[in-house]
Amino acid sequence: MLTVDALRVVQDPKYAASLTEAHWHALIGDPVWSELVAEYPEMVAPVQDLYAAQLGMPLAKAEPAADNPPGKSDQFKVIGKSIPRVQGLGVVTNLGQYVENMRMPGMLFTRTLRSSHPHAKVKSVDTRKAEALAGVVAILHRGNLPAEYRNVKLGSSPPDRYLFNEEVFEVGAPIAVVAAENEHIADQAIHLIDVEYEPLPATLDMMEGYQPNALKQWDNKENGTIVAITPPLVRGNPDGARADVVIDAVLTRATEQHMALEVTNSLMYWDQDRLIVYYTCQHAHGTRAGLAQALKLPANRVRVIQTGYMGSGYGYRSGIDLAEVHSAILAKITGRPIKTMYTRAEDFITRTHRPEFRNEMKLGVNRDGTLQFGHFRVFANAGAHRSGAANGSWFNMQNQYKIPNLKLEAIDVFTNSFKSGPYRCVSHPNGTFALEMIMEKAAAAIGADPVEFRLKNLNEVGNPDTKKPFSNPGIRECITAAAERIGWKEKWHKPRVKEVRPGVFHGIGFAAHACSHGAGTDPATGQVIVNTDGSVQCVSGCTDIGPGQRTQMAMIVAEALGVPYTSVTITAYVDTDNTTDTAGTNGSRQTNTGGRGMYEAAMDAKRQILKLAADKFIADAKRRNEELQVTPEQLDITDGRIFTKSDPSKKLALESVVQGSGLSILGRSIYRQDTKWERTAWAAHAAEVEVDTGTGTVQLTRLVAAHDVGRALNPFAVEQQIEGGVVMALGAVFMEELLKDTATGLTLNPNMLDYRPPSILDVPENIETIIIEKPKEYGVFGAHGIGEPPMAPPAPAIAAAVYNAVGAWIDSMPMTREKVLAALRNVR
Amino acid sequence: MKNFELYEPSNVREAVATLVKIGPKAKVIGGGSDLVAGVMKDWVQGNGMPLPDALVDLSTIPQLKGIKVDKTGATIGAMTTLTEIVESKDLQKQFSLLTQAAHSVASPLIRNFGTLGGNINQRPRCWFYRGAEFNCYKKGGDFCYSVGGDNRYHAIIGGELCYIVHPSDTATALLALNAQAKIAGPRGDRTVPFDQYFIGPREDVLRENILKADEVMTEVFIPTPAPGTKQAWSKLKNRQVYDFAIVSVAAAFTTDASGNWADGRVVLGGVAPVPYRATNIENQLKGKNVKNSIKQAAATIRTAARPMSMNAYKVDVAQTMVERTILGALG
Repeated sequence: MLTVDALRVVQDPKYAASLTEAHWHALIGDPVWSELVAEYPEMVAPVQDLYAAQLGMPLAKAEPAADNPPGKSDQFKVIGKSIPRVQGLGVVTNLGQYVENMRMPGMLFTRTLRSSHPHAKVKSVDTRKAEALAGVVAILHRGNLPAEYRNVKLGSSPPDRYLFNEEVFEVGAPIAVVAAENEHIADQAIHLIDVEYEPLPATLDMMEGYQPNALKQWDNKENGTIVAITPPLVRGNPDGARADVVIDAVLTRATEQHMALEVTNSLMYWDQDRLIVYYTCQHAHGTRAGLAQALKLPANRVRVIQTGYMGSGYGYRSGIDLAEVHSAILAKITGRPIKTMYTRAEDFITRTHRPEFRNEMKLGVNRDGTLQFGHFRVFANAGAHRSGAANGSWFNMQNQYKIPNLKLEAIDVFTNSFKSGPYRCVSHPNGTFALEMIMEKAAAAIGADPVEFRLKNLNEVGNPDTKKPFSNPGIRECITAAAERIGWKEKWHKPRVKEVRPGVFHGIGFAAHACSHGAGTDPATGQVIVNTDGSVQCVSGCTDIGPGQRTQMAMIVAEALGVPYTSVTITAYVDTDNTTDTAGTNGSRQTNTGGRGMYEAAMDAKRQILKLAADKFIADAKRRNEELQVTPEQLDITDGRIFTKSDPSKKLALESVVQGSGLSILGRSIYRQDTKWERTAWAAHAAEVEVDTGTGTVQLTRLVAAHDVGRALNPFAVEQQIEGGVVMALGAVFMEELLKDTATGLTLNPNMLDYRPPSILDVPENIETIIIEKPKEYGVFGAHGIGEPPMAPPAPAIAAAVYNAVGAWIDSMPMTREKVLAALRNVR
Repeated sequence: MKNFELYEPSNVREAVATLVKIGPKAKVIGGGSDLVAGVMKDWVQGNGMPLPDALVDLSTIPQLKGIKVDKTGATIGAMTTLTEIVESKDLQKQFSLLTQAAHSVASPLIRNFGTLGGNINQRPRCWFYRGAEFNCYKKGGDFCYSVGGDNRYHAIIGGELCYIVHPSDTATALLALNAQAKIAGPRGDRTVPFDQYFIGPREDVLRENILKADEVMTEVFIPTPAPGTKQAWSKLKNRQVYDFAIVSVAAAFTTDASGNWADGRVVLGGVAPVPYRATNIENQLKGKNVKNSIKQAAATIRTAARPMSMNAYKVDVAQTMVERTILGALG
C-alpha cells in the first residue's frame, strides 16, 4: 500500500517536492491529510497553492464568487434571525434516530480486548476458552485476520498501526475483538482470552522522549521518540534583539478528552458487495474514504449514513479508528449486522485527545510597552502515533501582536500514551494560553494596564510573514467591548488588594484570541433542488454534529435564492450515496465550507430560474401581443416572487416559472476558496473570580466573551456556540486532565466521575456573549465560523484573574486546587 | 459484566440464610450504584476480592425501609434512600447534620437510588483499586500503587499498606452523631456503635468495616442529641455535583453559657481509610472558649497528618475546613 506521511508534506517542502502523482492521489484520501486541512488551514494553504493540480483542487474561477456582497443586515430576510434547529425536537425528546439506539434483527455485539501494556510484543493470543462460551460467534485477532487485511494500517508511520499490531505501542491497542449474541456475552468473552506479552521499555513522558539518549522505538532519524522538529519560523533578528525587560515562563497544558455524550458507536452490515455503515462521525465522506481504503474497496461500495442525531464529536470523530475496520471485517465474516459500542473507558483511552503541551516562552518588552522580540518554543505530546500538533500553536504567536523579531520553534514527541488529535481545535487554545500568559506577565512586569498593553501592540494588518491581509478584523472591537461590558476601568486593581470575605480575594483578568478556525476550505459543495411546486430541497454532505450547521444551510439557501425559510427543507441526516463530499465538520469550517457550497448552489439555481423567468416574461408578453425586452440581469427574486428590478410590480411566482420548464431545477456549487486572505477568528474574554486562599477554590463569578463572527447568520446558534465553548473550556481550566500512572502507563481516570467535566453547578450564571459583526470578504454573507474559538481564551483570562486576585501565577492547566494552594504558598 | 444469580428475599432472615448458603461469593445489594454499576461493571476483582456469583437484593424487604423518630432518637432502615433522608422533616429538625451530609452525596439521580446502608458500606474510590489492571493490597494483591503514584486524593492520616480514604459522607456524619448500626447475622442481631464499626487497613486490608460476609446491616440508630447541640457539615469537592469529598467535616457539640466547649465530636471524611474522629481537636477544645481556641485546635490536625508526595495540600484544607465548620456552627 502506498502511503504518504501527511504531516511531513506540510512540514518539509523537500519531501513535498519529491512526491509522485500516485503519492498525491493517495494523500487526497488520507485521513491524516484530511484532518490537517480541517484543523490547520493556515499550514496546508501553501501546499495547496503550490500543488493545486496534483491535489485535484478545482480551478480557481476567473470571475469572483457569485455576487456575494457582505450586504446590509437590514436587507436580509432570513439571515440574522434566530431560528431553532431543524432537528431540535428530535434532540430534546430523544426521538431522533441516534446510532446508539439503533438495533437490527440478528445483529451481533462486539467487545475488544485491549493491551494493558504501553509497549510490548504480543507473543500469543489464546481464544479457546472464549470461543467455548455460548453465544460467542466470532473472534478476530492477529492470528486469524484474513490475509487480505494483514497489510492494512491506519494513519502515518512509522511506527505502523496495523489492524492488530504484534508490537503494541499503547495501553488500549486492540488485541482481539469478540462478536457475540449480546454485549454481556462479548464482555465476558474478552475476559476469557489469554494473552502473553513481552513487555518492552516504554516512553511515557514527553520530555523524556525528547532527550538525545532516549530509547528509539523505530528507525527514527530524529533523537529518541521525536516525531518532527518543524523548521523554525524566524522574523527579523530574534537572537540579536534587546529589550528593557525580558520575561521567561514555561507554560503547560494537560491531556484533555472530549467526552462526547454519545460514546463512539456504529452499526454495520454488508448488502451483497456493499458495506452499509451507520456511525457516529463528523465527516461521513471521510469515514467512507477511510473504510474504503482500509477494506480496499472503491468509494461507492461503502455507504455511510450519519443519522443527523449525534451526541457530538468535538473533533475526535473526523475519521475512523481500528475498531471500525474490525467491525466491517466481522460483519463480512459472520454475515450479520455488527453493533460496536465503545465503552466510556475506551472512548477516553483509545481515541484521540487534545495533547499535552509545553511552551517555553521568552518575550522582550520595552518600558514604553512596545514588544521587541519573542522566542517561543512549543512541545506537543503526539502520543502513540505519528501526528503533529506543536506548530499549530504558532498562529496567534505569529499574527496577534506586532513582534518585530520572532523565533518560533515546534517539536512533536511520540510517547506510549494518549494519542493526539483534534478536540474543538487542537493547538490554538494552547497557543492562546501561552501567548496571553506571557503578555499578561509582561504587562505586570512593566506596570501596564493589560487591556491597554494589548491594544497598543495589536496587529490589525495581516500575516507579517506571508503578507496575506486580514479581512475587516474585529479584534479591537472585541477587546473594547469585553473590557467595557465587564467594567474593566473601574474594576481592575493591584494584585491581592480586594478581600471580599475573610481569606477570599476578588480578581479580574483578560485575554485576547486569534485563530485560523472558521475559515472555510475545499471542497465546498452542495446542491439545491427547486421543485416544480416552488418548494426547495437542500442536498448537502455536511454532517451536523450539534451546532446547527444544516439549519444554517437552509437559511443560507432561503436568503440566497430569495424564498421564504419555510419553503426550504434540509434533512438532518447525511447519506454518502446521494451527496457530494463537502469536508468534515471540524475546524469550525462548515459555515464557509458546506455553507459556501449551499450558497453557490442556490446562486446557480437562481441564475437558471432568472433565465427561465426572463423567457417567461417575454413569452407571456408575446401572448398578450406585447413586445418586451427582459434579460436575467434585470430580474431578482424575493419571497418566492421573481420581479423586474425597474418595476417590482411586474412579477412571476417561482412555481409558475419552474412548472413552465416542466422539470425540477438543480443548482450546484462550482467553487474554490480564494487564498488571498489570512482568514482569522477574533475574540476577547474577560473574567472575574473569587479565590479562596484557605481551600484553593477558584470561583468564576462572571465571564464576558466577545467574538467577531463576521456576520451572525443565526444569532441564537452563535450564542449557544459561544456559551457551550466557554463551559467546555472551564472543564479544562479547572478540572479536566486525563491522568496515567507513571509506573505502568495505565489510565487513572477514564470515567466521568474521576475525570470531572463540569456540572451545571460549576458554571457561572453569568456567561455573557457579545457578538461583533465585521463582515469578511471571503465569508458567506460575511460570516466567519465560531465553533472552536470560544475554547481558547477562558484559560488565560481566568489565570490572569487569579493573579489579579492573589498575586500568584498559575502556569499550568488545569489550575487544580493543589496547584493553586502550592502557588499561594510562594506568595504568602 | 460477569454472570450472577439474583436473590430476592422477602425478609431479613431469608436474606441471611441465602448469604450463609452461598458463602462469601454472595453479596448484598442496596441501590446497586456502586456494586453493580461500579465494581461489577468495571471488573474490579482480585484474589482477595472475587466478583460475586450471587446478589441478594434487599429492596424486596419492606421492613428495611423507613424513618422513625421518637424521644430517644431516630431509627433509619438501611434501605431508606438518601432522598428520603434528605426530605425527612423529622430528621432535618434534630439531625440536620445527617440531612446535609446525605444531600451532599453525588446527584439527585443517585440519591433517589442510593440507600443509607449502601452509602455507608460502599467500597473506596481509590483509582488504583478501581482500575482493573492494578492488583493492589485491597484486592488481595501485594502492592500499593499510591505510594509511588498519583496520590493527590489519598489518605493523609492512618494510611498503612493501603492509603484509601473512606468514601461515605453519611458515615462521617453518623459517627459525629454517635450513631450505631444494627446488624443481622446467622447468630442473631447485634448492635455496633459506629465508633467500632469501621476498620483500617492494619486490621484487615480487604475490608472497611466489621460487617461479615453473612451479615446484613438492617438499620441505623441515632440518639437524640443533647439540647442545644450545634451541628455542622461541610464538604469540599472539586465538582459541585457527583463528587466525593476532598475533605469533609462533621461536627456536633455543645457549649456552655459562656461559649466554652462542653462535649462533642469532630469527624473528618476524605482524609483517612475510616471516617476520622479528630479526638485531638476535641481534647484541645474541651472547656475552652470555642471561638477563641478553634484556630489553634484545628492546627493540631497537622500533628496527626502524614501526607504523601502529592496530597500535603489536603492537610491545609482540612485545617481550614475544621476551623470554618466549627465557627459556622457557632453561627
